[in-house]
Amino acid sequence: MIKAYRLYILLILVLAWFGFHQSVVAVNYSTDPIITVLPFDAILAITEPRFVEARNAKLGINSPVIGVSLNGDSRAYSIHLLNDHEIVNDQVGGIPIATTW
Amino acid sequence: MYSREIEGQVYTFGVSGKLWRDALLMYDHQTRSLWSHITGQAVEGECQGKQLKILVSMPKITWQFWETHYPETKVLSVGDNIDRFGQQREDEAWDGYQRYHQSSNAGISGTRYNDFRLKNKEKVVGVRIAENYRAYPFSVFKKTAIVNDTIAQRPVLVFHHNKSGATAVFLRFVGTKRLTFVNSVDYLVQDEQTETLWNLITGIAVEGKLKGKRLQRYPAVNVYWFAWARYHPATTVYR
Repeated sequence: MIKAYRLYILLILVLAWFGFHQSVVAVNYSTDPIITVLPFDAILAITEPRFVEARNAKLGINSPVIGVSLNGDSRAYSIHLLNDHEIVNDQVGGIPIATTW
Repeated sequence: MYSREIEGQVYTFGVSGKLWRDALLMYDHQTRSLWSHITGQAVEGECQGKQLKILVSMPKITWQFWETHYPETKVLSVGDNIDRFGQQREDEAWDGYQRYHQSSNAGISGTRYNDFRLKNKEKVVGVRIAENYRAYPFSVFKKTAIVNDTIAQRPVLVFHHNKSGATAVFLRFVGTKRLTFVNSVDYLVQDEQTETLWNLITGIAVEGKLKGKRLQRYPAVNVYWFAWARYHPATTVYR
């Protein structure tokens, strides 16, 4: 009776180890398909961004933004605004950048 | 956040409407190649295999904290974003993806995520140093805002500040001096070696021997575990 119990525990351990091992190494994503859900530009990226100074900006104090500061030039992009555009093509501190969400 | 320039060529990007590994593919207007916005790599088209340079940014921070530390910041303004009082706003009160964030569902492709080291929708700070990837679960930062760690022999400081949502990763070196950070209070922290006080939102020393010095930053992301593990299955997890 005791022996059968031990065997059962061992089996669980082996299965658990196998499951863990699989979760780490058994995934191969290199063949992942590209899935089309919308036509090109159905969501319009921003290519000519406009900006306001911080003191004139109207955002909630707890509104989440993505921030970037390059060569003393800084930007804030509201994350909720980016939901509708997903990409901003910008130029910050002389560097052309893409902010994506 | 990426540089749009590769070898002198500047690209502009649009939304392809296609997904790969449950995330947006961008396309460039110049060659119409498809690029992963998660890795910055072109996965199809003329540019396939090209890699956009990843730039350091603050992946998420509340407006109040960003404005306080970067008062000169400009703020993206999108035309005709008018609130119910008729005023132009630079944010939206409402998060269109709220339901997605609150649900336990992962991507839309129906892929079964099977890396169970963490829960699929657990948020992590994802760090990449050279070809090494490490995930820091947000739960690590409940008690302390900082983790002194070493990745690929490089001493790094990982910072996540619950109050502002700020996340940053720094190299723990100033000149040839290796630093260990202690005594984090809010977003301020001291290094053990010189007792200099550092602001980890800006990465600049504000008081003490190293005042004015700046820590070198590494790119960091805030991301759900399932997505991080899917793109970087070899990632280690900080415990």
